[in-house]
Amino acid sequence: MSILSNIGKSSLLAMSIFWVINLTYDFNWDYIPFVFLSLIPIYFCCAIVILLTICPIFWFSVSEGFNRQQIFKTYFPIYAIIIFGLCSYGIYKTKTDIFAISFFVSAYISTLHSWMWFVKPKKVNQNEQTTLCK
Amino acid sequence: MKHITIIIASILFSTLFYNQKIGVNLSIFSIISILILLVSNTQKFRNKTTIIYTLLYLLTAALVFIQHTSLSILANVLAFITLVGSVKESKSSIYVQWYNGIYTSIAGYFHRNLHKIDNETTKKDIDVLHLVKLVVIPLAFITVFVVLYRNGNPIFSDLISKIDLSFINLKWILFTVLGYYLFSNIFSPVQFDFATNKDLQTGNTLQQSETFSTEILVKEKQLGTTLLLLLNILIVFYLTTDVISLNTKWTEAHVLSSQVHNGINALIASILIAIVIILYFFRGNLNFYENNKTLKNLAFTWIILNTILVILIAAKNYNYITLFGLTYKRIGVNVYLFLTLVGLITTFLKVSKVKNLWFLFRINTQIAFVLLMILSVVNWDNSITKYNINHAQSLDLNYLINLSDNNAVLLNEYRKSNNLSSNQSNRIITKHRNFVYKLNSRNWQEYTYSNFELKTISKTSRNNEYFK
Repeated sequence: MSILSNIGKSSLLAMSIFWVINLTYDFNWDYIPFVFLSLIPIYFCCAIVILLTICPIFWFSVSEGFNRQQIFKTYFPIYAIIIFGLCSYGIYKTKTDIFAISFFVSAYISTLHSWMWFVKPKKVNQNEQTTLCK
Repeated sequence: MKHITIIIASILFSTLFYNQKIGVNLSIFSIISILILLVSNTQKFRNKTTIIYTLLYLLTAALVFIQHTSLSILANVLAFITLVGSVKESKSSIYVQWYNGIYTSIAGYFHRNLHKIDNETTKKDIDVLHLVKLVVIPLAFITVFVVLYRNGNPIFSDLISKIDLSFINLKWILFTVLGYYLFSNIFSPVQFDFATNKDLQTGNTLQQSETFSTEILVKEKQLGTTLLLLLNILIVFYLTTDVISLNTKWTEAHVLSSQVHNGINALIASILIAIVIILYFFRGNLNFYENNKTLKNLAFTWIILNTILVILIAAKNYNYITLFGLTYKRIGVNVYLFLTLVGLITTFLKVSKVKNLWFLFRINTQIAFVLLMILSVVNWDNSITKYNINHAQSLDLNYLINLSDNNAVLLNEYRKSNNLSSNQSNRIITKHRNFVYKLNSRNWQEYTYSNFELKTISKTSRNNEYFK
């Protein structure tokens, strides 16, 4: 999957999770425009996180001859635990504020999903070869 | 079947934990987790190691209910992680099991999804993404149009604002989703292949490398012998002065306190450096070098002298406890001393039986895990209070009052049978009253053994002011 498409999908996922949690605690129809406006900062956040933390792993590993499955099996468990630790620490430090919870939960799930989208083969044609992180 | 089991478990998860504090709910959760693991991994539960970890997990679950201490909760969480890791690979080292347990609990779903992707060609799955699109996209557009139409028509706006969905507890549903995620993760545990395979392939015995230079070994041996000899002389000198100072009577708390704590700090540094130095010299081929006997003997002597140092610090701590009673710090010192002793013994074994660094990691983490389980059996607040009231020559009652509510009953009994200052007496009464109030206001999910104890006490002491 291409990076732009991945960032786009991750942003939509992050936005959905973020607002589902937030609106569950405090629903107001007036928030709806902000839901859509929030896509812009969320997109930037996702882009920065994906470009700085996930893409380099794929770029360096591909250049060393790893295939997508090997990259996933080698680095994903470490990445998942580090991200979980950082997000948990963030929630703990902000004293379980609902905004912080929704931010860190959406960050955690969307980054892990982003890995899945990078690893998942493109379903254009079953015989067509898939490419990683173009 | 899998989904139904997980859905039932997640509903139970919400019932147990939503808006509740820790109590019997964690013990019930432990039983549910074991059942979930048992349903999906029946074969693995025939393994001896997994059975032991299951029993340990059940024990800690019972301790959470009976003792309700932070340590028992920590032990329960660690036992859960270990069990999950052990179900996946019981032969791996305990720290790899911890890693696999955490990894399974937090990201098992994502890991399994990869394997699903790999096996997709053989099995045609339901297009989940399409289903999500089918729900989310129309929902998003309907929401946008509802917001737009609200501003255009006051009757429509009025009708929309009358929609009351408050009967649906969305927070509870979200919490259930969290439970679903957790149980779905542990349903079939996963592993970090790289670490697990590496661990399974690595034995405990050190292997001699095929090529090595005798000249370098000789130089290393000379350096090691000189260094260890000098360190041995130094530690003998230190121990002699320490024995002399031990015979001096110090009864002032701050003198003994600084002695023990400074001693501990010195001990931490010296023993860690001692282990690192020994590990450095015995990291490779020097273990197989014929003329290494002197170096080995010096290393053994140093380990024995460090053990004596541990015993001396333990003696100081014992004196300190006899005079001024138990505190968490003093118990912590004893725990640290025990772990240090274990570290020294395992280092001794490493050198004498030519073991590698992994042997040290494996055995020491295993011992630390067992020690945590043993320590969680004790209700420390209660034990500290009981010991200090009965044995300490100088009782620090304010320290005991500041401990958790676990000693409230004990302190209240002590208050009744002793003449205390009005301030201390009032603080104990407040503490006990708050404890009884907290117990009475608990929901069934938060029940602990204290709730049942309270019922017994209230039956026997009808005149008690709090039970009226």
